Amino acid sequence: MTQVFLIDVFIICFRESIEAAVIIAVLLSFVKQSFGGPGMDRKAYKRLLWHIWLGSLTGLIVCLIIGGAFIGAFYGLNNDIWGSSEDLWEGILSVIASVMITIMGLGMLRINKMKAKWRLKISQAILEDDEEDPLAKHLTWGQRLKNLNPVNFRFSKFGRWTRKYALFLLPFVTTLREGIEAVVFVGGVGLGQPAQAFPLSVILGLICGLAFGYALYFFSSSVSLKYFMIFSTCLLYLIAAGLFSRSVWYLQMNTFSKQTGGDVAEGGAGPGTYNIKQVVWHVNCCNPEMNNNGWGIFNALFGWQNTATYGSVLSYNAYWIFIMLIICVMQYEEKTGKLPIIGRFWKRKHVSDDEINELYNRAQLTAQRKLGNAGDVHAEDLTPTSSSLDKDLSEKKVVDTSVSSHSA
Amino acid sequence: MLFSRATTLLASTLATFGAVANAKDIELDWTVRWKTVNPDGLKERQVVSINDQFPLPVLRGNKGDRMIITVHNQLENPVRNSSIHFHGMYQNHTNHMDGPPNVCQCDSPPNSSFVYNFTLDQDGTYWYHTHTSESYPDGYRQIMLIDEDEPPFEYDEELSFTMSDWYHELNEIITKDDFLTLYNPTGAEPVPQSLLINDTIQPKFLVKPNTTYRLRIANTGAFSGFIFYITGHNFTIVEADGVYTDPAEASSVYIAAAQRYSVLFTTGPDTNTSYQFVQVADSSLYDVIPDDLRLNNTAWFVTDETAECSDLSREDIYNNKDLWKDPTEDIALDDFTSEDIAYFDDFTLVPSDHMPLLPDPDQEFTVKVVLTNLLDGVNYAFFNDITYTHAKVPTLYTVISAPDDETASNGTIYGADTHPYVLEHLNVVQLVLNNFDSGSHPFHLHGHHFQAIVRAESLGGSDSDYYPYDPSTQNVTFPEFPMRRDTLVVKPYSHFVIRWVADNPGVWFFHCHIEWHLTQGLALLFVEAPTQMRQIYTNIIPQSHWDSCTANQVPVKGNAAANTENFFDLNGQNMQQKDLPAGFTARGIVALVFSCVCAFVGMGFLIWYGLSDTPDQLAAEAEHFVHDEEVPSENDIDNQSDLNDQPFRNERGKRFTDRLRRPFGHRSSDDN
Repeated sequence: MTQVFLIDVFIICFRESIEAAVIIAVLLSFVKQSFGGPGMDRKAYKRLLWHIWLGSLTGLIVCLIIGGAFIGAFYGLNNDIWGSSEDLWEGILSVIASVMITIMGLGMLRINKMKAKWRLKISQAILEDDEEDPLAKHLTWGQRLKNLNPVNFRFSKFGRWTRKYALFLLPFVTTLREGIEAVVFVGGVGLGQPAQAFPLSVILGLICGLAFGYALYFFSSSVSLKYFMIFSTCLLYLIAAGLFSRSVWYLQMNTFSKQTGGDVAEGGAGPGTYNIKQVVWHVNCCNPEMNNNGWGIFNALFGWQNTATYGSVLSYNAYWIFIMLIICVMQYEEKTGKLPIIGRFWKRKHVSDDEINELYNRAQLTAQRKLGNAGDVHAEDLTPTSSSLDKDLSEKKVVDTSVSSHSA
Repeated sequence: MLFSRATTLLASTLATFGAVANAKDIELDWTVRWKTVNPDGLKERQVVSINDQFPLPVLRGNKGDRMIITVHNQLENPVRNSSIHFHGMYQNHTNHMDGPPNVCQCDSPPNSSFVYNFTLDQDGTYWYHTHTSESYPDGYRQIMLIDEDEPPFEYDEELSFTMSDWYHELNEIITKDDFLTLYNPTGAEPVPQSLLINDTIQPKFLVKPNTTYRLRIANTGAFSGFIFYITGHNFTIVEADGVYTDPAEASSVYIAAAQRYSVLFTTGPDTNTSYQFVQVADSSLYDVIPDDLRLNNTAWFVTDETAECSDLSREDIYNNKDLWKDPTEDIALDDFTSEDIAYFDDFTLVPSDHMPLLPDPDQEFTVKVVLTNLLDGVNYAFFNDITYTHAKVPTLYTVISAPDDETASNGTIYGADTHPYVLEHLNVVQLVLNNFDSGSHPFHLHGHHFQAIVRAESLGGSDSDYYPYDPSTQNVTFPEFPMRRDTLVVKPYSHFVIRWVADNPGVWFFHCHIEWHLTQGLALLFVEAPTQMRQIYTNIIPQSHWDSCTANQVPVKGNAAANTENFFDLNGQNMQQKDLPAGFTARGIVALVFSCVCAFVGMGFLIWYGLSDTPDQLAAEAEHFVHDEEVPSENDIDNQSDLNDQPFRNERGKRFTDRLRRPFGHRSSDDN
């Protein structure tokens, strides 16, 4: 069977490119708001836009090269090791893919939260560098340590050059990071699949993700977008549940296969291709592993097997129950600001929207001052504003950088 | 020099032999016990021996002789029951001496004795083997030669051969651990470890020049079919399964498990030469061909002891794979398979008595051969969805213990899964066998030589090539003088049709003679002329037969369920495993529905979570601005030129307000 499309790979690329698009969108509007307005520094605006796009593209190209090399090398070196124990690998890779999709999936329902997170991160990245800015001083050492991720890497260490090209480096590092993340995920999910299955899935994923990001940039509060996100997330979790069930199925099949001395590999859909003792249902039709019968799509999407074992059915249901519990926990945490039970002992601090906005505004000012060509003029005008904001902020106990519960 | 023990068994039988008037009783006393031997030079193992002999004694007699064999079972470690079937014997009036346990007798347990007493009514080449399940491949089998008054051919000397496959484990253990288990779902038959001729490899036989030999060959193997040939020479087939045939020239012959042939072979004038009599396994029967399985074996006919032939020991032969070649041609074993050899079509043989085709049948049965799995996951073999499961009472005893002839003529009393067909006395019976399996099977009918009137070729090797017999669409011509035999091969996805006259009252087993398939239940019963049987057998079963049943606690009266009161009450009869459910069972439906519900509820949670997304960040931002800072007036927004001069605050105010309508719509105010 020549497989040319891998739905898992597609989804991962889709998801990662959405995240990259969100970041770029946030950056673009940051620059727009800081420099793009009428009477503002058009020259700096154009230069910075150029920086952002160049940075994004460079990051994308670099990570495509890395990813291509990674997968190419992998297939070059290990072309044969899968075939002998295909069921075992199917099982292991399915469980990896399932865990990955599970982790990334819920984040997609919190696009706004994602945007907020990135606005916060950008603000902090710019502010932290500015030692004169009072907000930067609100960061505790613990928070600074947390911020040691590539995006808000300490620009001061790079000196003047990095400061000047911050808006090149930010998107560059971002796309690179998301891209490498995608490569690792794609590698994990797609191992054992034919190499020719990758290009189409990856490229389609990227295109859809970027289109989606573009839509997000312009219509972020559109209700239909939200519904689309919900719909696609449901699909994603159907796949993940199926993958989880599939992994259990394949691992059981691998065991049975070993016990029979590889005899079941003769395959087909009839009796003798499965362990009767473990079976919950079996229908002789609809074997997803047979060629050209369409059931393979159901297998990829929902984990359909014409032979269901106790293991595969239980794991499928257990997965959904686990997801329901996680959602309940996250809802609880969002409403009350703490986790159930353990929340008594450990509480995460929220950054309120107001606080993020204030940081964002502050970062705009700083950027105008430091990145603009003729920033000084504006900086003069803005000084009073910033000092009044300082006052507000110094009264509050700010700022945890973590926006609740989302991890990229 | 290694000469087979079998050579000592040669009888230089002259074609003209003594008359039947000299019929005698042959009384034999056989003690059966385990013995450890190493027939193939590869591994010592336990085998069944008779009077400490292995290979077992060749049974030999004249037509008309009476065999009285007392078998003392001493198979104690491991414990093994005993029974002997004299393969091909009609056993007319001696059905109880036919051998299959639970059909015609009870298994004889260790430390018991059992007497077989029957007349040799026929001549030709036969063999005997235990019919106790999972036993005869342990060596409990040997050729049986019955000499004829006047065979329709002439020869000078005789040599007899058994060809068999050989396993290194006890049959019982292979069956339990590797074969009839959940973990052999495809029912892959165990592949043997070596091939034997006369229970050894590479035997040598001294032959004389310019002499016609009758080679009598029996396949006593458990599974394999063999092709045999004499390198560079033709021979003449004169007998198949005890039926003499018109001489048929052949260069190679296929001999399936349990079949026998006699061929005439005349040596040349050379005095210092050798002939290779080669046995090649039909490797298409094996699911896998292990690297260390040698697929051929050769018997050497040498004209004197210095003649050129292999002088190597068995160990040397096995250690040197170069010698595993077919001696005829220089082809390495790897490239040489049985499929490369064209062999004689036994369907074309004509019995020398020219018995014509039997008339149209009075009774006709059609059976379908399928191998598939039942609920316990084990792969079984079926005739029409029934895998033979023996009755609680040996079926012969059910016939004679039935209250009346009418009851005995009703097939239901013999049990459902014994698959009985009741035949009326002297009817012409026709059996159509459609093989829906991918393998070829040698089918054997006890108590008869049947006419093989149709045997189709195989149409191919895939599931779509089922090829049942259908005279309305197939162009069928029956042979004028059909070949008669007792074991006939059906080809993969093909069929055969056989006919015989129900002139031999008795319970006759019909089964596949691949021992593995018999264990899987590929068998059925013909209860032939039960009324006549009751007259013959009611009072003649000897005491040793009843004793075996007592020792094994097998009931001897009643129907298949051992019910003696009401023969039509079959409650408690032995039944085969239940069928696999065809599709969704209640359990499957519950599981599937629950899984679907779970998935939908889960997606419901996802939707709930998605809909409760935090309010739009930018809306919040704008709100924050609107409430906390001065509200920009409509005026400000509309007045573009004013805005250009406005300080930063008002500019932002306009944008945020704008964005209340179109969030993130940064183009709204700037790019025009």
